[in-house]
Amino acid sequence: MKTLIRRSLKTGLVFGILTVFLFLIGFTGTAANLLADLFHNEFGDPLLGRTPLMLNTVVFLGLIGLWAGAGGASREEDLPGDPVSASVLGGAAAGLVHGLSVGAVAWLIGGLNARGVMMNKYLAELLPIAIRQFLVGFSPAAAGVFYLLFLTAAGALGGGARHALGRGSGRYRTALQAHARDRIEALPFYRTAVAHPAAKYVLYGLLLAGVLLLPLFAGQYWNYTIGTVGIYVLLGLGLNIVVGLAGLLDLGYVAFFAIGAYAMALLTAPTPHNLLWNFWLVIPIGILLAAITGILLGAPVLRMRGDYLAIVTLGFGEIIRILSKSDDLTPFTNGPKGVPSVGGPTFFGLNVNNNIAFVYLIFLSVILVIFVTNRLQNSRVGRAWEAMREDETVSRAMGINTLTQKLLAFAIGAAFAGLGGALFASRNQFTGPEDFNLMVSINVVSLVIVGGMGSIPGVIAGALVLKGLPEMMRQLEDYRIMVFGALLVVMMLWRPAGLIPSSRRKMETAADSGVVDTTEQKGVK
Amino acid sequence: MPKPIGPARRIKPYQVIQAVLGAGFAGYLLWRLYQVFIAAPEYGADTWARFLITGAILGGVYALIAIGYTLVYGILRMINFAHGDIMMLGAFGGYFVLETTRSIPIGSSNFSDAYPVWSVLAAFLAGVAVATVSGYFLERIAYRPLRGAPRLVPLISAIGASIFLENAAQLLFGAQRRDYANPAVLTRGEGWTLAIGGTDVILPYTGVLTFVLSILLMLALYALVMRTRLGRSMRAVAENKQVAALMGIDVDGVISRTFIISGALAGAAGVMWGLHLGLVYHFVGFIPGIKAFTAAVLGGIGSVPGAMLGGLFLGLVESLGPAVLGINFQLKDVIAFGILVLVLIFRPTGIVGEVLTEEKV
Repeated sequence: MKTLIRRSLKTGLVFGILTVFLFLIGFTGTAANLLADLFHNEFGDPLLGRTPLMLNTVVFLGLIGLWAGAGGASREEDLPGDPVSASVLGGAAAGLVHGLSVGAVAWLIGGLNARGVMMNKYLAELLPIAIRQFLVGFSPAAAGVFYLLFLTAAGALGGGARHALGRGSGRYRTALQAHARDRIEALPFYRTAVAHPAAKYVLYGLLLAGVLLLPLFAGQYWNYTIGTVGIYVLLGLGLNIVVGLAGLLDLGYVAFFAIGAYAMALLTAPTPHNLLWNFWLVIPIGILLAAITGILLGAPVLRMRGDYLAIVTLGFGEIIRILSKSDDLTPFTNGPKGVPSVGGPTFFGLNVNNNIAFVYLIFLSVILVIFVTNRLQNSRVGRAWEAMREDETVSRAMGINTLTQKLLAFAIGAAFAGLGGALFASRNQFTGPEDFNLMVSINVVSLVIVGGMGSIPGVIAGALVLKGLPEMMRQLEDYRIMVFGALLVVMMLWRPAGLIPSSRRKMETAADSGVVDTTEQKGVK
Repeated sequence: MPKPIGPARRIKPYQVIQAVLGAGFAGYLLWRLYQVFIAAPEYGADTWARFLITGAILGGVYALIAIGYTLVYGILRMINFAHGDIMMLGAFGGYFVLETTRSIPIGSSNFSDAYPVWSVLAAFLAGVAVATVSGYFLERIAYRPLRGAPRLVPLISAIGASIFLENAAQLLFGAQRRDYANPAVLTRGEGWTLAIGGTDVILPYTGVLTFVLSILLMLALYALVMRTRLGRSMRAVAENKQVAALMGIDVDGVISRTFIISGALAGAAGVMWGLHLGLVYHFVGFIPGIKAFTAAVLGGIGSVPGAMLGGLFLGLVESLGPAVLGINFQLKDVIAFGILVLVLIFRPTGIVGEVLTEEKV
């Protein structure tokens, strides 16, 4: 009984805070709009004019209430006796707390609003119209009572639903899946196809063909997005060598990206230098410059380990950005205005400077970089890097010259970023200091980690999730960066090894899991 | 005493490079100092006094935030990337209290102007309360479940939490920059006038308040770490979690309290930032956060006096550096980060840092 009360209280409060937070950031209105799209009742409420039907708000809040009830529903061990009534009771208790907290806030906000306090001066989304929506058209006190009753009922329903679904559905689903699997495996064609060694290649080939044909059918906007994701794959693959393989945390990776981009911009653009060099000539120059910078930066700092390295590289990345927009260098870099009309690629005198061609160019670079990474990873160098990542002291004892290997990793990682930067500047036909803020570095580190350190498919998956997915949620534009932050935390809690961990790393973590160890941090030092 | 037996000490190439770079930099610094003060003085004593005042005030705030980084790093060996955003939340807490006190009319005046001491005190309490609560929940939600995970995992979680807090604040409070509503006696830009070198130099009230308060808070924290039972457990946990647990210390509880303390300091720093510099918006904690981390590393991360010294030093370097080195004031951040890189190359343990053993680093 005590656990039941505690759980209901906790769940109810958490959901109460969540509901109020969603309202305060204006998400309740957005969700109501989305539901209106779903139900096709876009004519709007006669009372509120532009905003959607009040019903949609109520439906959305009801869904949260159901969820709260399901979360608060009792497990069997809590209460002796009838599990159905225990679940319903638990859900209702959570719903009661949920309704009480939301109702109190509704009453407070409604009351303040009625007394003429303009709250949107402080909380940006609290426009009178949004408050009215939150009060569901009632007076503040009535809205409070409404939330109390409505959310308690939703909670009870949610608790009951959880009991009903939680028991039967799991078993049913497993049985159904097993049945389907048996049926597929019984097909003679399937068995021979899977057993055939070429099956994997056919699958990859189909996938590759699909990806290669995609730009022809995607519109301009989607090609732009695909290109951005591709460039982030390039950056991710580069950083994957530095962080994922060699285990050096680099938070200033954007510096190399900036150097590639500025090399392309300054050498091909009409302003400020009017050099107008050929695109194909500048690409290797950008790569080379980035690699040289990588070595120059790496030489003094690579003796450091761990977070010190992270913070030095972070400082270096910021230095590059601040320098690029400073007045002192304006004659050279065009300062904060950036460099416009960066040159594009020509192909045998043909100008192929359009989005589709660029997507293919980026694809080509990605494939090239994947090839290089793959060869490196499975070579002596790659093994040395991974040994270094796991334990630097031991790897040195095994005869690995760690300084050379680190410099090599830094230089190759920087070279990939230089390539990415050159392509980026040329595709955007513009480059400026604000393209290279700290968020780029953080994004790239995040996509490597979220994808799975040291794993090439992981980098691609990470780039798709972190750069591609937000583009698809355009309707939720205001919320996507916040969701991105929350997603990073959730990913780390739920799947710290990444979406697609590299096979070698998977084996290591499996072997480590038995060791109880809280003081010694493993992994990247 | 006999000489220790062993191979002759070989000078490594990087040591030569370090020595040459260090000598070059020191020479350049001396030459610039000579230029600026003796050969061709560009600025008068009043300007230098102004730089010193600005630097010291900024340094006090940096030091307060840096202590938060150092405490958490000392215990968890983790960069609490969201610490600057905790400061931002604290700044907002103070902002709302000051706005509220201003909107309460008392006669022809308002509460804020009539009782400035109480309203500023309330602002500080609110800022500290908000930052403390958010620091506690940050640790509970984003860091505690990751105890014992590879080092990068909590770092990424911290970065995610930082992004979440910044954007949630933007959605809640809007993207515009808000003016901090100081009570009339603490109007920004007003202060005591000092006559230095024949020119008036203003010693701002807000600046003095900020500086004195930050020094007091630092002393209080130092006493807490060195003199109290909690401080002793914090030091024990920082030294070795397992042994501390064996000695009967509630490790998770100590870590929670560390986050609460560092959050409280960051909240106070946020209100000071608002009172003195006057602007508050969702991104306000980012740059001070990075600077304060730099300060913590400068002082020797893990060491509380180091963070204080590092913060003050960084504030002074930032305001004096461009003038001394004769470069554009836009580049003050370059100087801050440049110093960071130099310190890490030549003295990775920071100004007063302990010598970290291999497994600790």
